[in-house]
Amino acid sequence: MAYHPRENWNPAHRRRVYTRRDFLQRAAVLGITVPILPSILAACAEREGADTADLAVGTPASPVQQPLFDDNPAIESGLAAEEGPLQLYNWEDYINPEIIPLAEEALGVEIDEFTFLNEEEALAKLSSGEVEADVWFPTSQRIPVAVAASLIQPLNHDYLPSLEANVWPQLADPYYDQGSRYSAPYVLYTTGIGWRTDMVDSADIEGQANPWEVFWNSKYSGNMGLLDSFTDTIAMALFRNGVTDPSQASDADLEAAGDALVELVDLMGVRYTIDGSYAGIPEGRFGLHHAWSGDLVNSQYYWPEGADISVTRYLWPAKSEGSTVNGPISNDTMAVVKGTTRPVLAHQFINFMLDADNALTNFEWVGYQPPQIQMTPEFIIENEYAADFLAGALVAPEDFELDSAWVQGPIDAETEAKWVDQWTRANSGA
Amino acid sequence: MPTNLASGTEYDTVGQKRWVWPAFAIPGVVWLSLLFLVPFYAIFAVAMGRIDPILNRPVPEWNPIYWDPTVFAEVIEDLFGGQLSSIALRTIGYVFVASALCVLIGYPVAYFVSRKAGRWRWLWLMLILAPFWINYLMRMMSWVNLLSPDGQVNQILGIFGMETFPDWLSGKHYVVILGLVYGYIPFFILPLFAALDRIDDATLEASRDLGANNAQTFWRVTWPLSRNGVLGGLVIIMLPMFGDYYTPNLLSGSPRTRMLGNTIDQFINQTTSQGSVGAALTIVLMVFVAGLMVYYLRTINRATEEARR
Repeated sequence: MAYHPRENWNPAHRRRVYTRRDFLQRAAVLGITVPILPSILAACAEREGADTADLAVGTPASPVQQPLFDDNPAIESGLAAEEGPLQLYNWEDYINPEIIPLAEEALGVEIDEFTFLNEEEALAKLSSGEVEADVWFPTSQRIPVAVAASLIQPLNHDYLPSLEANVWPQLADPYYDQGSRYSAPYVLYTTGIGWRTDMVDSADIEGQANPWEVFWNSKYSGNMGLLDSFTDTIAMALFRNGVTDPSQASDADLEAAGDALVELVDLMGVRYTIDGSYAGIPEGRFGLHHAWSGDLVNSQYYWPEGADISVTRYLWPAKSEGSTVNGPISNDTMAVVKGTTRPVLAHQFINFMLDADNALTNFEWVGYQPPQIQMTPEFIIENEYAADFLAGALVAPEDFELDSAWVQGPIDAETEAKWVDQWTRANSGA
Repeated sequence: MPTNLASGTEYDTVGQKRWVWPAFAIPGVVWLSLLFLVPFYAIFAVAMGRIDPILNRPVPEWNPIYWDPTVFAEVIEDLFGGQLSSIALRTIGYVFVASALCVLIGYPVAYFVSRKAGRWRWLWLMLILAPFWINYLMRMMSWVNLLSPDGQVNQILGIFGMETFPDWLSGKHYVVILGLVYGYIPFFILPLFAALDRIDDATLEASRDLGANNAQTFWRVTWPLSRNGVLGGLVIIMLPMFGDYYTPNLLSGSPRTRMLGNTIDQFINQTTSQGSVGAALTIVLMVFVAGLMVYYLRTINRATEEARR
C-alpha cells in the first residue's frame, strides 16, 4: 500500500479523513491504543489548513518567471556594503575552501559557512529561522517553493554585473526563473552512467539505443551500484522503461519502474550508495555506477597512487550517439535569503562567485562545472581541468535545450508518496 | 517515620529531612524531560501532524486534539504483512543472531578477564577495549577497506592459496551481522565483566566443597549469578542495534540487507513530505524495544527480590 499523505483526502479541509473504526482496528495490532487515545477521542477535531501555493514551475520548453511580492522587494541600488561576517548556507564540501579567503579579501569581511546534509534540512531551518544565513545554495528545482514560501528575496542585478557578462545566456535567463529574478546559477550536472573500461565493456553502453539498460546487464552482476537517492533512481528506471518525462509518469509506469528495480536485487546484486561513483569506482568496489557528472570528475582524486585512471568513463544517455532515451540535467543556484541583514554583501558575494577566475578556482576543487561562458567543455579539457576521457561528464550550454534532456521540478506530496512507495519496495530486498 | 514534634518536620531513619534524598533526582528528572520526553513528544507530533502546503514538509501538531493517526495506521499495516514486514523480520533476525554471537564470543572473554587473568586483567580489559576508543563509523570504514576486493582479508586468504574470493561487500547477511557483532561487543563485555567480577570466590569454593565439579559449579553458581550481567549487556547492545543503519549501509548497501534504521533514514533524510512516516516508524520501533526493556527490568526486579529473601 502507499504512504499516501492524501489518501482519503478531504479537499475542504485539506486533511486526511480516517474513520475511528479503521484506526481502532489497526492500532489494536500493536496495542498502541492508549498512547494515542486523545486523538481517537478527538478524531473529529481538524485544523483548517492553508491552501497549497501555486508554484511557478518551468521547463526549458516552457520557461516561467517567478512572481514578485510587495512585501518582498529587492534591495535598492547603490547601497553600501554592510559589516560582516557574511554567512553562507551550503551543501557539505560544495565550495573550494581556497575561495573563501579570496572572497574575504575581496569583500573585506569574514565569511562563515554553515552546511546542510539535504535540502529538506535547509528548508526546515531557513523557514523556522533556526539558520540565519545571507546566501543559500538551493537546487534550481527548489526555487519555486523557496519563492512561494518567501525564503529568498529578489536580486538587484545592479550588484551582479558578472551575471550577464559571464554566465551562459541559457542560465543567465533560466527556464525556472526567467530574468534571474531570485537566483543566480552556481554549478551544473547531469545524471548518467559511470564505469571503468577495465571492468565493463564500453560497447555495452556507448552507441546503445538504451544505455540505461546496462544496469540490467547480468554480465556486470555484483559490480553494479545505483544512487541511494529515490528521485534519481526511480527516474532512471522510468527512463530505462522508455518514459520520457518522469514527472508525468502514470501509476502503471511507476509500478513498472519499481518492478524493474526489484529485479535488480537478484539479477545484479544491486547496491545503493552515494560514494560508489566517486570513491567506489576507483577502489574497484564497482565497475559500473549510476552517477552525477561532477562526482566522476572528482573520482580522479580517489584513485590509489600509480593507478591508471584513464579507464574512467561517464556517459549521459540523453546526449549519447544512437541513444533514444532521456536523461536528467540540472543546476544549483545561489540566492539571497529573505530577511538577511547583509543583503548588499550577499549580492557582492554572488557576483564574486560569478567572476570567471573565481568560478574556475572553485571548479578545480568542487568538480562541478559552473555555467561560465569561457568554460566550454573544450576549454576545460584543453586546459586540463578535466581529463579528455571524462569529456562525457562536462555540460555544454545547448544541453539544456535537447529534447532528451529532462529537468526535474518540485515534487508534490502525493507524487512523492507514490515514488517513495516504489523505492521502499525496491529496497526491501524481499 | 520519626517526626520532630516541635517543628513537625519529618525525618528518615538517619535523621535527614525527608525531601533531601528525592531532591537528588531533580537533575536526572530535568535531564530526562529535556532530552527524552520533549524529543519523544516532538517525534509523536510529527507522526501525528500534517503537511505544510507550500514547503511540502511535515509540520508537527503539538495539540493532541488535532492529531491524525492515519500515517501510524499505514505504518502498522505495512509492518504486519506489507512491504516493511520483510525489513522488520530481517532486522529482528540480524539483531538476535548478532546478540547470540555476542554472548558466545563475549562471555568466555569476560569470564577469562574477570576470573582467570589474575593481576593482568585490567591490562587485558584495556587491550580489548582499546580499538573501541575509535569512532564507530571509522571502524566500519576500516572494515570496508579490509573486505574490499583488493583488501587485506583477500590478500591474506591469497597467501593460503585461495584464488577466488567471496565478494564480501556485495550484500552478504553474515558480513552485516559480523559488523554488528564487532561494533557492539565491547558494550556487552563490559557489564558482564562487572557482573562476573562481583561473584565472591567463596561461593565458588563452597560449591566445590559441596562436591560440584568445575562444570557443575559454572552451571549452578557462576552462570545464574552472571545472568543479569548477560541480560544487562544484551539490553545495552540490542537497543542500538535495532536502530542501526550505517553498518548495513557501509558493509553492504544492498536491499537484501536493509534494516528498519535504513528505512527510517530514507523517510526522514531523503524525502520532503514523508518524514511523518519515518517518525511513526521510529515510535513503533521504540514501543517494540521498550517491550524488551520491560522484560529486562522485570527480570532484574525479580532477582533483587529473591536475593532479599
